[in-house]
Formats: sequence, structure tokens, C-alpha cells
Amino acid sequence: MGPATMPDAGATRRPAGLSSARPPSRLARIFSLERIVMGAAIAALFILVVFPLCFLLIGSVWSEGRFTLEYFREALTGRLYLQALLNSLMLGAWTGLFSLLLGLPLAWAVARTNVPGKGLITLTANLSYLSPPFLTAIAFVNLFGPNAGLINAFFRDMVGAPWLGFNIFSMPGLVLVTVLHTFPYVFLLASSALQSVDASYEEAAQILGASKFRTVLSITTPLVMPAILSGVLLAFVNAIALFGSQAIIGLPGRIVTLPTRIYSLFDFPAQYALASALSLLFVVITVAALYIQRAYLAKRSFVTLGGKGARPQLMDLGWAKWPLFGFCVVVFFVSIILPYATLIAVSISKSWGLNFWQGLTLEHYRFVLFDYDVTQRAIVNSLGLAIVAATIAVFLGAIIGWIDIRTQIPGRKFLDYAALVPLGLPGIVMAVALIQFWLTMPIALYGTLTILLLAYVGRYIPLGVRAANTSLRQIDPTLEESARILGASWGHTLKEITLPLMRPGLFAGWLLVFVPVIQELSASILLFSSSSMTLAVAIYNLYETGYTEPVAALAMTNMAIITVVIIIARKIGGGQIGRKENEKPGDGVPQGGTA
Amino acid sequence: MAGITIQNLSKSYGGRHVQMAALSELNLNIADNQFITLLGPSGCGKTTTLRCIAGYVTPDTGSIHVDDRLLSSPQGVVSPEARGMGMVFQNYAVWPHKTVHENIAFGLKLRKLSAQQVRDKVEQALVLVNLKGLEARYPNELSGGQQQRVALARSLVVEPDILLLDEPLSNLDAKLREKMRSELKQLQRRTGITFIYVTHDQSEALALSDQIAVMHGGRLQQFGSPFEVYTKPSNRIVADFMGLVNFVPGRVAAIDAGQAIIEGEGGLRLQAAAPTGAAPGAPVDIAVRPENITLAAGGGTPGAGVIRERVFLGNICEYTVALPGGASLRVQTHPLQQFSEGEAVTVTVDASQCSIFPREVAQSDRAAA
Repeated sequence: MGPATMPDAGATRRPAGLSSARPPSRLARIFSLERIVMGAAIAALFILVVFPLCFLLIGSVWSEGRFTLEYFREALTGRLYLQALLNSLMLGAWTGLFSLLLGLPLAWAVARTNVPGKGLITLTANLSYLSPPFLTAIAFVNLFGPNAGLINAFFRDMVGAPWLGFNIFSMPGLVLVTVLHTFPYVFLLASSALQSVDASYEEAAQILGASKFRTVLSITTPLVMPAILSGVLLAFVNAIALFGSQAIIGLPGRIVTLPTRIYSLFDFPAQYALASALSLLFVVITVAALYIQRAYLAKRSFVTLGGKGARPQLMDLGWAKWPLFGFCVVVFFVSIILPYATLIAVSISKSWGLNFWQGLTLEHYRFVLFDYDVTQRAIVNSLGLAIVAATIAVFLGAIIGWIDIRTQIPGRKFLDYAALVPLGLPGIVMAVALIQFWLTMPIALYGTLTILLLAYVGRYIPLGVRAANTSLRQIDPTLEESARILGASWGHTLKEITLPLMRPGLFAGWLLVFVPVIQELSASILLFSSSSMTLAVAIYNLYETGYTEPVAALAMTNMAIITVVIIIARKIGGGQIGRKENEKPGDGVPQGGTA
Repeated sequence: MAGITIQNLSKSYGGRHVQMAALSELNLNIADNQFITLLGPSGCGKTTTLRCIAGYVTPDTGSIHVDDRLLSSPQGVVSPEARGMGMVFQNYAVWPHKTVHENIAFGLKLRKLSAQQVRDKVEQALVLVNLKGLEARYPNELSGGQQQRVALARSLVVEPDILLLDEPLSNLDAKLREKMRSELKQLQRRTGITFIYVTHDQSEALALSDQIAVMHGGRLQQFGSPFEVYTKPSNRIVADFMGLVNFVPGRVAAIDAGQAIIEGEGGLRLQAAAPTGAAPGAPVDIAVRPENITLAAGGGTPGAGVIRERVFLGNICEYTVALPGGASLRVQTHPLQQFSEGEAVTVTVDASQCSIFPREVAQSDRAAA
């Protein structure tokens, strides 16, 4: 019986299968699925982020049952610690500057000129961002190590001009290796900002009589400046947090930075309190930088990042596009070809040196894959951890994002901030905080896979939350509301409507977490044990022991695994996304007018 | 069936410092089997009212009963899924990842109907909204009007007692809007479901409704039939919102037995029901619609005026007439009745169709006749 023929049958028309329209009992309201899931997500956030940070703070000012500022005094006056602080700031500042010098021209070239090879530039930026920074460091050590570095040896032994060589174990060397990983932050933010400045703004200035130069100065630059500065600050924050390159390049060059100094405090006897104090100072720097970036710059950003539909003005460079293209090729060569070619060459040479090509072998691969008993365990651990951590981070992010965007729960903003805080936590600080927290707990987690998982999820939860927020904002709330009024419960709506619509966004978020987790070193280095060995730690340990060629073989194995997983994931997710494109998620929200 | 009783309903939004009242002390009795329109400009509280009825919003004060069941009060609300209502959204909210069939079948599956029943009912619903044959399509393969029909079918197929419609036609083009308008009215008559319809379009409200609730600034201004609301607006706001209206400043000349003699600017003089509380000499506004004024050639007193502007609109002709006191009137005439600009005319106002409102000193928004 359709509604068209519906008789006035009175109250019997109440649809079957619906709960009666009475307010649910108090008990049922408290223990509804909605509350349980949200409560669990909030609890998880406290265990992952809030409690460890509280214990970090307590651990730095509490010693033998009383309050003390002794450790902060030492961290702020001890020569060793001040030097580390200074080195970290120097490294961050130089890296920020060179990321700008490298990233901005590339961004401008891609967004605003007719330079050839734009695809190559974007590829370079993406690959540089994905490459584990400690692998780049190892590759450059093989080229520019003071004694055994191939290029240095070439200039010394073949050319007879040792002064042409370059010592990688120095601040410039450290900056070089770090910039190759951080310039994509400037590139990505600047290019998308430049792309979303509609040409009409500039044309409006020109028609009023402004010259090209004047237009760039008074219209374009103010519009994109916030995005560019954001990129520089992100480069700064990420640069000073990288443990791997600072340990591999910095320590042999006696350039101790905050992460490596904190690491050394865990040599026996471990100085937990001092490490906590130093960690907090570290956090203050990164949080201050991120605060400036978010509060000041984000507010002044006039350009909606990633805004589509804008029509940027392209500049015809004429002959000048070729030097610019050359610059792009050089960046591609130095940041991608050089390190990976070097690692491959090292990994298949019998013994790395000027005549390495005379004895090529796959022996090192056989060694690391089959004889070195750590490798297989490390691969299994890393893969498992990365998959589980990415999945948890994304689902937790979805729930927290949902609470923030779709509910009026008091304190939801705090939840959102708590989920963003780890952005300002260098990996090693996260590790110190987890150690402080879990050492006081009755559960023995130290050295287990679980504590690594907690570190990974905690550290990368911001990426999960952000991915969820982005895709949730694109889903009109009425899509959920219309399911509710048709009789669907909260859980049913989540399963049938919200999650399927979020799937492409969540999937992108999953990859975004997976990639950094599988190469995570900064936190793992303090938390691993021989049974919970991960790939990155295995590489670092092997490098520490001095096996040059097997390290390269293991590094290439690592890269191969990352590549394979990304390809598989793209296949699976790509299929979903492809089907989605047919359906256009969010397109149920019409653009108005006639469709 | 379902009548709705709304008592003293209020809702404010905002942060700790600024509270914006979206809805203030709304009282409304909606009878069963009615087509009710909540009409008002954006921000008037009409959508908040609808969302309170649907259960998405918890009111600050007041209550909502459907028949005798308490559904909403500040102490708690029955969740939307337990209300057995239907709702059609402005943006349709048709799920983009489900086919037409899956969209419509969603609510039926929740009610644990057999597969055969679901198929039959979906089919009937598709016939009802003229979408037969499109059940396998995805929403992005449908036009806006078709998507809106899917949304309608999805809400109707579960046989709700009450259907809530939130500006369902505002995203459609003018022609389609007119067509869907008459279809909606017929649907309401055929199904006997109580329709609560939110719109800012007064012509839509007039065409569709049994009763119109005119809202402004979070308050109910008038609740009545389309004819009442248009011809006997209860205050300035309603008069102004429902179509074109001239406000001529005037004052009460005399009152006798509830009837007042009003003298308006430009020599207008008419007799009308005295506004409550008005004393002789009180300043008033005379509200008169352009179609209730007639023009005749040749000046004369009283009611002389000069044509200032003429706009030919096809089915009518609209004149702006300057009165001696400086005020001007908009007048609509039959298109064949032609005057030229600058011509002197005699203005006659149909006193029975005028409304008299006390003059507001300030805060015209707070008006209550």
C-alpha cells in the first residue's frame, strides 16, 4: 500500500519496527552506542597524548618526592644543553631559509609560468617528502664522508685537489641533507596558494594602471605570503625534529642537537628527569613556531588553500624558462637521483670506493635478507605496526573529527586541540613522555610492540584527525540527518552513510599515516627492544656498526617495501576512489540552480 | 493522526558572551491533515522551529507535543529516528553513494519489511513521484528536480504522520518550481499527511498553505489562512513581507465607536477600525496595497496626485504617484488604463482594504499591532 492510497487509518499507521516515541530511559541514554564509541575515543586520546604529556611535565619538576626546578636550571645553563639548543635553532633557521630559496622558485615555476617539466617538479617534491631522511643522510655520507666519501676521494686521489671536497659532517652538510626533506613544505603550500589566486585580482590591478612588477608586489605577494611563511615554519619545525639525519651527520661532526642530546641522556645511567626537562624546552620551541603559524598566519591567509576553480595567470618566460628548467632538473638530480643511485650502487658493490663498479654483487642483499636474523623480524614488525597504527589513527581521527564538527559536546574544542598537539611533539619527545608515563604504570610496556604502537598512533593522530575533518566538512550534515529521521540509529547512520562517504578521505589519511610510520626512527630509537625491532632502527643500528654496503642493501629493501605497499594500497583504494568518482561523494549537495 | 502543539518554545545560539535568540516563545497549534507554512526572511527562526520539531535541536524552553506525546522539552528530546516523521531538505540530501532504489528503500529496510514488500513499496513510491525506470541510477545522474523527487519518495514511502519540508523548492528553476509546487499540494491532499513547509517565498506560501505562520526576528507575527494574512496583516512587518505595500503617514482624526477617521498625507481621508490603544491625534501608518488604489484622469481635491513614473509589466501597469505632501504611492492598474508621466490624476483608496498601524518611533522590528 503506497502513500498515495493511504487511508486515514488512525494511530495504527505508526511504522513497524521503530522504537516507540518515548524518551529513552536514563540508562539507555548513558550506555548508547554513540556515547560508548565517543567515550572510548576520548579515553584513547587521553592515554595517547594527554597523560604522557602530563607525566613528562611532572617528571621534569618532581624528584624524590618533592618539587624542584633543578633540572630546568641545568637544561638552561649547562653548556652541553645550551649548545644543543643553539645548534637546533641554527639548523632550523638555515633549513627554513634554504627550504624557502629552493621551494618558492619551484612553486612559482609550477603555478605561474610556462616552464616545461612541471610534472617532474611535482614528482621531485613528493618523492623528497616521502623519502626517509635518514636514508638520504646515509647516501650523502657515502658521497661526501671526509675519508671514504666517493666524491671527496675522487677529488683527493684522482684530481689531486682535496680542497674541492666537501665534508658532510658539518652544519652545512646537515642543513643540505635536511633541506632535501623539508623544502616540499614550502613548495606545496606556496604552489597551491599561488594557484588559487585568481587572475582577476591581478588583472584588476593591471587595468587600473599597475605594472607587472607593481602587481606582484602589491597584490600577489600579500595574498600568498601567509602560505609561504607557513611552509617555512613547518620546514623549521620538522627540520629540528629529525633524529636520524642529526645522529648520522651531526654526531660524527660533533654537532649535537636537542634530539641527539636527549638520546644520549638515556645512556646508562638514564637521566629521565633531565631528559624530560630538555624535551619540554624542545616542545616549547616547536609549539611556539606552530602557534605563530596557526594563529597569526592562518588567520591572515586570504587564499583558500587547494581552492579549485581559480584561474591563475600564467607568465610566458620566453628563453628564461630554460635556466629555470635547468634549476628544476638540478634539484631533481640532487634530491632524488643522487641519493638513490648512490644507495643502489653501494648496495651492489663488493666494497664501496672509487672502483666500486669492478665487483658488483647481490651478496649484501642475501646477507641482510637471509643471514642477518634481525631483518625479517623488523620487516614483519614495521609492516604490522604501520598498518595497525594507520588504521587506528584514521578511525580515531574520524570519531574525534565527528565529535568536533557534528556535536555540541562541551570541551570538544579541547579534544580537537589535544589531537593536534602531537604535531608539535618531536618523535623523541613523544618517546620520553611515553616512557615517563608507562614506567609508572603497573603494566610493563617498555620494549614491547605495544608501546611503539602507542607512540606511532599518538604522534600521527593529527594526520588522521585532519583527514577526517577535511572529508567530514565536505559531507553535508543533512545527509546524516535524513537517515536519522528515517529511523536509523547513530551507529547505523555511521556505518551506512557517514563512513562510506568519508572513505576516500579516510583512505588518503591512512596512506598519510602509513608512510611516516613505516620509516619512523625518532621515537622508535628510544622505545625498541630486540624483539620489537623495526626496519628504521635496524638500518640505523647496522649503520652504527659500520657495515656500509649491507646498510645500503637494507635501505633499498626498506624503500622497496614502502613502494610496494603504496602501490598495493593505491590499487585497492584507487579502485574505491574510481568507483566513487562515478558517484561523486558530496555531489548530493547540489550546486544550486538547475542541475 | 497527528496534530502538533508547540508551547512557549525558545532557542538561543551563540557563545558565552553573545546569545542570539533564534526563536522566542513560540506558541503554535497545528491541526491534523494540514498544509502549514512557516514563512519569513532568513534568520527569522523558521528553520530552527522545523529542526526542533524534527528533534535535531533541543529547545531552551517550552515543549513540543505530537498528539499527546511529549517529544521535545529542555529536559530531553526524543531522537529523530524515534519520531516517525519525514523530512525533505533544501539540498535534497539524497545519498550520493546509493542508487535511487537504495535511497528510497533505506527507511523500509530499517522497518524490517520483507524484500518483496520493499520492492513493491519502492515501486509505488517511484510511480507517485514520476520516477519510474530510474531506480538503478545514482543521484549524480539525475537532474535537480529528479533528486528532489527521490528525496520526497524516500520520506513518503515510510508513511510518516508528519512531513517536514525545508525550502525544498528553492534550488529548482522557476518553471520546475511551479510544477513541483502543485504536485506537493496534491500529494498532501492525497496522503492526508501533515505537511510543515518552510519557505521565504511568500507567493509559494500563499499558493500552498492551509495556514501560514509568518515569522520575523524569532517571533511569530501572525498565524492564519493565506487570505487573512494577506488582506488583514496583524502588523507592519507582516504587511511589508506579504507582497507590495504602501505606507502612508497619517494621524487619527477622530474615534467613534471603534471606528476611526484617519487623515493621511496628501489629503487621504478614510474610515477604518481603530487600532488598539489609539487616541485622537496619534500618529499612524496607513498600509495600502498597490492593487487597492484606483486612478482617474484629471486632478482634483481631495486625492490629487501627479504621475512620476510608469512601468509597463504586461499584465499590469505600475505607476508611482506623487502626493502633494511629498509622499508617493505605488499603484497598479489594468494595463489598458494608461496615464503619461507628469499627468495629474485623482487617487482613490479602497478604505476597506487598508490596515492602520500605530507609527513606530524606532525599532520597527518589534512591532505588534
